[in-house]
Amino acid sequence: MNKEQIIDALKTIVQPYSEETSALAHIDENTDFINDLKINSANLVDIILDIEEKFNIEIDNDSMAKMLNVKATTDIIAAKLEARAGQ
Amino acid sequence: MLGNDIVDLELAKTQSNWRRKNYLDKIFTTEEQLLISDAENPDMMVWLLWSMKESAYKIHNRKTGIRDFAPKSLNCTIHPNTYGEVNIDGDTYFTKSSLQTAFVHTIASSNCHQLEKIKIAIYESPNHLFDYKSTNPGCVSHHGRYLALVYEALQLS
Repeated sequence: MNKEQIIDALKTIVQPYSEETSALAHIDENTDFINDLKINSANLVDIILDIEEKFNIEIDNDSMAKMLNVKATTDIIAAKLEARAGQ
Repeated sequence: MLGNDIVDLELAKTQSNWRRKNYLDKIFTTEEQLLISDAENPDMMVWLLWSMKESAYKIHNRKTGIRDFAPKSLNCTIHPNTYGEVNIDGDTYFTKSSLQTAFVHTIASSNCHQLEKIKIAIYESPNHLFDYKSTNPGCVSHHGRYLALVYEALQLS
């Protein structure tokens, strides 16, 4: 799965938690979950859980701490998928 | 520095399903999860602990300049009369919460004596203070129907 595919999947995941239709339509690496998509911090947990289910990976606390924007989140997902593929 | 956080309990009910598998484990320590499972009103305990963490984070974030999402690193202790403490990386923030039927509001300060001097203003929509920024609040929290503002004691005189 390449970065674009991860971002696409991420877009589907975050959509239910944001009412910022314009920011959602223009989602890219620079999009911030809280500042741009106005996602409630309690819903960030749902996003982390959705990511774990969708990609079948485990997000540890240190990774979760960085997952405030699309870029950091995509990088973490890509790294976890790569680590799993290498096993 | 001040922190505050308000949770509209009606919105929280529909916005967040904390009973979802693994949800609590992502944000609460083992001790906090015990407080929730032992609570008479687990919903209230979840949002009380959450607002304590959020209000303390708002100070810690400004103090350290570190922006992250690490709710489990904020350790809550609840004292009598809805006072509390949040510890993070050796820093302690003192909290006082107000538990209402419709909302939970927590104020936080790094100085426990300052807590009593904080002035609180809570507005319910549609009666929001439109130009609240000009009142120079020490911290602002907005959730659902509620807007909560807190002010340092000095600004009152």
